[in-house]
Amino acid sequence: MAGNKGRGRAAYTFNIEAVGFGRGEKLPDVVLKPPPLFPDTDYKPVPLKAGEGEDYMLALKQELRETMKRMPYYIETPEEKQDIERYSKRYMKVYKEEWIPDWRRLPREMMPRKKCKKAGPKSEKAKDTGKGTSLTNTADVLKKIEELEKRGDGEKSDEENEEKEGSKEKSKEGDEEEDDDAAEQEEYDEEEQEEVMVYLGKMTTLIHTLKMEMILVQTVTTTWMKQPIKL
Amino acid sequence: MTQAEIKLCSLLLQEHFGEIVEKIGVHLIRTGSQPLRVIAHDTGTSLDQVKKALCVLIQHNLVIYQVHKRGVVEYEAQCSRVLRMLRYPRYIYTAKTLYSDTGELIVEELLLNGKMTMSAVVKKVADRLTETMEDGKTMDYAEVSNTFVRLADTHFVQRCPWVPATENSDPGPLPPAPILVISEKDMYLVPKLSLIGKGKRRRSSDEDAAGEPKAKRPKHNTDNKEIFRSLPVGYNISKQVLDQYLTLLADDPLEFVGKSGDSGGGMYVINLHKALGSLATATLESVVQERFGSRCARIFRLVLQKKHLEQKQVEDFAMIPAKEAKDMLYKMLSGNFISLQEIPKTPDHAPSRTFYLYTVNILSAARMLLHRCYKSIANLIERRQFETKENKRLLEKSQRVEAIIASMQATGAEDAQLQEIEEMITVPERQQLETLKRNVNKLDASEIQVDETIFLLESYIESTMKRQ
Repeated sequence: MAGNKGRGRAAYTFNIEAVGFGRGEKLPDVVLKPPPLFPDTDYKPVPLKAGEGEDYMLALKQELRETMKRMPYYIETPEEKQDIERYSKRYMKVYKEEWIPDWRRLPREMMPRKKCKKAGPKSEKAKDTGKGTSLTNTADVLKKIEELEKRGDGEKSDEENEEKEGSKEKSKEGDEEEDDDAAEQEEYDEEEQEEVMVYLGKMTTLIHTLKMEMILVQTVTTTWMKQPIKL
Repeated sequence: MTQAEIKLCSLLLQEHFGEIVEKIGVHLIRTGSQPLRVIAHDTGTSLDQVKKALCVLIQHNLVIYQVHKRGVVEYEAQCSRVLRMLRYPRYIYTAKTLYSDTGELIVEELLLNGKMTMSAVVKKVADRLTETMEDGKTMDYAEVSNTFVRLADTHFVQRCPWVPATENSDPGPLPPAPILVISEKDMYLVPKLSLIGKGKRRRSSDEDAAGEPKAKRPKHNTDNKEIFRSLPVGYNISKQVLDQYLTLLADDPLEFVGKSGDSGGGMYVINLHKALGSLATATLESVVQERFGSRCARIFRLVLQKKHLEQKQVEDFAMIPAKEAKDMLYKMLSGNFISLQEIPKTPDHAPSRTFYLYTVNILSAARMLLHRCYKSIANLIERRQFETKENKRLLEKSQRVEAIIASMQATGAEDAQLQEIEEMITVPERQQLETLKRNVNKLDASEIQVDETIFLLESYIESTMKRQ
């Protein structure tokens, strides 16, 4: 088409004079790499404004930076737990004021849910789960006792008893881990006591006076109550 | 938001509020309006932390929320508000110059806490002032609240929107988020504080409640006689001298003050837009001069004045040899200070038959410069953080030594012991600390100054966009 007129010779499609380059003049080199990171400048930068106002603003800026770090609005990233607790860390902690936002101005979903609060519900939660597991443990154990009784197999019951004892011990340890407060344990134990009594009642109606079962019951109650019950 | 702005916002948020808030804030700036769960999912942070971060951001007016259909609340970040954090020192300094220490402290407290009730501010500021005063004297609450009222009157301080009190008090299902409302009238109203034991103050801006709110006074032409009447007594300027001054101001090529008519002895008006335009142009010229040299600046001013010039004409008018003129023009072109305008002679835009004119588009050049300013401040902050991190060990050591010296002085110690402790920092370390301090100060001062340029350019761009 029109572009072939030059028959392969290089020719500009526009008047090169218009853009400022003379004919036949060497055009500047093509740049093949990004510009340098810190290019040389021909001219030095103008000195900064100096004065009383500027000095004051500088001091304000630096103070503001420091103050912001100590405000309760500065949320620190939780650090990973270090292997050795440094003694000095305790004294370098910055005591920050507690800030409670005005909940009336914020959307309802902003409020921390009660489940997240540490104070009351955690122990209740622990209690609940503790009770639950111990109760389920007892329920399981008792069910197994019933099964045993129905089977009436002495040897098997021995092995199973040992297994159950092992599992009981584990459940005992589990219970202990869940009980954080020693004070709570007493309440816990008292409540447990009542429920254990109910279960004991059930057991006596169900279980025959097989020796194994008696020992089983005694060991079960001692692990919970940490004191033997004289039946 | 441009990448440079987002980077700057991220640095500012991190410095002032910590990493968690920074992550949430930057995510919101990038992605726009989002509900709570989506934020938590996308950023990979726990819901609890997202809530805390959002509370902080909302408290500081950096994030707003809106209730959408089906009760979903969406949060949106305001990038421009985050960038304003650079200007806090300047705000506090201005308040100091106009309202002395009390005003300064009020503004500082409000800036640090985002939002506060008037009573809380007054109490805090009064306590702080009492600490600095001599023993036995206490700061009067009334004085502090007076300054607060004055700040509100001159719009330094503004009232936040409030939840309207509903008439029916039945505990129906609460909306997921309160709808904050404020009437124009109430924006600058200050509540009636009864300061028990420290004197009472009257409610201000009663007059404003009746008529048009102060905020919306339209630009109007001022009469010569009005100006004369409103001059403060101490000036002692006669009418003739005033006339001369006004003509001088109106004739100035910068056109800050304009004469809009002759009725009433002359009507004068302040051209804010023109003033901003002149300031922005002056900034551009100054930048070109400092970057490319005074000859380039001459060419730039020439093109600015003549609007459109061809290559040949530039050489002729500027009286600069062709080669150099061409070189300079291309340098400025690649720096986007000057742009090329094509004017075709024929309907097919054949390059050999087209005029290529050089021109300066102030708006786009201002935008380019503004973007560069954001980048520079981000670089300055990064460099400052880098410098501080490099010398962290040394800084901590010097802080510890200072603490030790202070405690020893408090308990009473001899000079020899203090000398010994001070020598814990060796001389080369002291020099290093000095250099570090000097560098950090320089970087901080540069940030403040670049922020001034940003203010100018942003005002000009905003004013131009409003007119269009």
